[in-house]
Amino acid sequence: MASPGALIDRALRPVHQWVWGDFDRRVRKLIAFGEVEGDGGRDILRAAELTPDPLLRRLYLAHAIDELHHADLFRQRSAALLRTRSTRSSGLFNATPLPGGHGLDDLTIEGEPDHRLLAFLHVAEKAAAGRFAIYREVVGDDPSTCAIFEEILRDEVFHMNYTYTQLARIAPATYRRHVWRARASRLWKRYLRVAAVIAAVSGTVMLTLQYFVLIPPFAWMAKRAARRERPGWIPIPADRIESPTSQY
Amino acid sequence: MNILGISAHYHDSAAALVVDGVPVCAVQEERLSRHKNDASFPAGAIEWCLSHAHLEPGDLDAVVFYERPMLKFERILTCALRAFPRSWRSFPQAIKNSLGEKVWARGIIASHLGVPREKILFTSHHASHAAAVLFTSPTQRAAILTADGVGEWATLTAGHGERRDDGRSAITLLREIRFPHSLGMLYSTFTAYLGFAVNEDEYKVMGLAAYGQPTMVEQVGKLIRRTSDGGFALSPEYFEYHTTAARSYSSKFVDLFGPPRSSFDPIDVETSEGRRFADCAASVQRVLEDTLVETTRALQRETGLRDLCLAGGVALNGVANARILTESGFERVFVPPAPGDAGCALGAALYADRIYFGHPDREVPDHPFWGPRLDPRELARAGREDGQIVDELVDADLFEHVASELAAGRIVGWMDGASEFGPRALGHRSLLAAPHSSDMRDRLNRDIKFREEFRPFAPVTTVEAAEQYFDLPPGGVRLARFMSGVFPVRPEWRSQLAAVTHVDGSARLQAVDRDMAPRLHALLEAYGRHTGIPVLLNTSFNIAGEPIVNRALEGYSTFRRCGIDLLVAGSTTVTKRPSARRVALEEEIACSQSAAVSGAV
Repeated sequence: MASPGALIDRALRPVHQWVWGDFDRRVRKLIAFGEVEGDGGRDILRAAELTPDPLLRRLYLAHAIDELHHADLFRQRSAALLRTRSTRSSGLFNATPLPGGHGLDDLTIEGEPDHRLLAFLHVAEKAAAGRFAIYREVVGDDPSTCAIFEEILRDEVFHMNYTYTQLARIAPATYRRHVWRARASRLWKRYLRVAAVIAAVSGTVMLTLQYFVLIPPFAWMAKRAARRERPGWIPIPADRIESPTSQY
Repeated sequence: MNILGISAHYHDSAAALVVDGVPVCAVQEERLSRHKNDASFPAGAIEWCLSHAHLEPGDLDAVVFYERPMLKFERILTCALRAFPRSWRSFPQAIKNSLGEKVWARGIIASHLGVPREKILFTSHHASHAAAVLFTSPTQRAAILTADGVGEWATLTAGHGERRDDGRSAITLLREIRFPHSLGMLYSTFTAYLGFAVNEDEYKVMGLAAYGQPTMVEQVGKLIRRTSDGGFALSPEYFEYHTTAARSYSSKFVDLFGPPRSSFDPIDVETSEGRRFADCAASVQRVLEDTLVETTRALQRETGLRDLCLAGGVALNGVANARILTESGFERVFVPPAPGDAGCALGAALYADRIYFGHPDREVPDHPFWGPRLDPRELARAGREDGQIVDELVDADLFEHVASELAAGRIVGWMDGASEFGPRALGHRSLLAAPHSSDMRDRLNRDIKFREEFRPFAPVTTVEAAEQYFDLPPGGVRLARFMSGVFPVRPEWRSQLAAVTHVDGSARLQAVDRDMAPRLHALLEAYGRHTGIPVLLNTSFNIAGEPIVNRALEGYSTFRRCGIDLLVAGSTTVTKRPSARRVALEEEIACSQSAAVSGAV
């Protein structure tokens, strides 16, 4: 049975179609994927360096190499697309508010036990595999990008499988609970992400209003003061007091 | 007295600990967090410094932040006001950044460490730079020049410092150039224009410059003019870094120099476009050098001193440093191993000790190895578990073995003792290779570093052999101690040192002193016995986009992912076993098959 996340992704298919249908958005999406996969690869690499389990170290390492390879594929493809024509400079929908990505960028590695990491990776890889399958369909008009998703999907299957098998190996009695906990944690992080975006937008609106309402007289004074400044060296007075406790 | 220095919130955050006037450790946060150029509060670095010295936060007598955050906020706010209404987009972001974290340095430090607020002190940014170089260099009196992008307001300061025989110390900064007029920002603007990452890839501009001709000096001259007092001023209409965080250069800049390079386009200096970019790099490099040489020459005449202490991010420009040494009139030029903002953590702690508390001057060990020490047992364990070839060798055998491997064209990951503080790998976390053939340079770029072809690799040799292979001016060996100068390779050796000789015949040399890095020195001598040339290629032990490795296991994971042939950590060596990767893959495949069969997913 499909997970709720997969159902949401399927329902959002027209949005995905809209995102990937535009050249500029497609390029930005690929660039963002390159960064996310690269970050995820480095996180998993860190896990390989920290785990005391030799088999997990080898598997994490192979996984990290795959992720870093995916990052290269995305970067190369976006560069190739960029070379075909220049993009517009619009910053709208610059990848982050749109569906997509592994979400591994907010993964904590240091001090995390392997079972938690494996559960997180399993859930994230499964979600990514579902999403990449949709992306593969919506970029059907672009065989090179489609081939990248094809290759990545093959790797994702391996990643989902090994994370689950290894989780069952190291936590045989509790592995299902860990997976559910990882799903809940992922949902919570999504909520936090949305909340952070809303807070950031509200903050920007408030500050922009203040900028135009409160700032003008101070701006006038600052510009006036700037005109009096002499370029070049400014002597530092010998008696300037450098207070150890002052932040000014 | 225990003093902790902290730099944070801009780029390259770090912590350093000074105990009774002597540094005991210092490390950049990125080496521990594994996030390159990590600018976050250096909680990991602080924790490591305290545990290294067996201290608790309560044992600290002072915690010194490397700049004055409210003064910096004043500058950000003032620039936004001056740029009204063009700054409307960047204003909310700038305010959120500052008020979200950066101005609350005292509170953040107090809450992280639980120390009383009165123990938290501040220095000015450029005073931290000045202290980082003056108090760690073997000089009694020196002129001081600090230059970077920007601190609070200052972007460049000139002055002098003294470590008196009676133990008292003084740093006197006489004058400063203020933001937005900044040599560092000028160079960074070209870094952005050439499609590289600002605050990270400036050295790529320096490398690219060697491929070009300074044909655009006149155009660059429109961006920066000398003032009658010997200073300089930038023409603000060509820049946008002081009004927005989105772009460094204006459309007028683009009109002057042509379309900027996309970071996704490769640079091919054989094409006219590639040559234009190389000429741009050469031109800004020339203007930077000329400005610095004239400024330091004036400072030498004014102070009459023989030594110059140079710090700030601009001091990472080895080509400019070498010209300052030969043309400014100073006999010795000192650049610390961490001249950038990370080094300010150490500088702030030393400034507080010598100046605020007035403690007597203490001799500081003249080396860069202040970071975490290596545990070779980690490497041996991981290598054996993964079925690699692991050996333990006594030093004499190790040096001979590694030298013969290097002579046979192998690439060696070399880890030894404590890691370096600063951006350079100076022989404790290095990749070493034979320097003779340009094929080696191409192989390193292709299989290990995954980086642009135009970037040169650096040579390392012994102090004793340096002058035989490199054309060093008086004082050059000192500048080469921490790889801070670029010097010509002697013409008769260029063909035999092709992998480390840049296109213009120069090299960013490290001259190794036996006392500073005895094992690397011994390896160089052993390599000299094998090949007749005691010179090796030395590049940082990392892959593009990652920080330099710190622990043995980080070296090991890098070794497993790229074309390094031999890994050395202390006396432990690991050689890749060709079948090891296959064995691991078989295990992985078995795992995935068993999962698929069980229908677990």
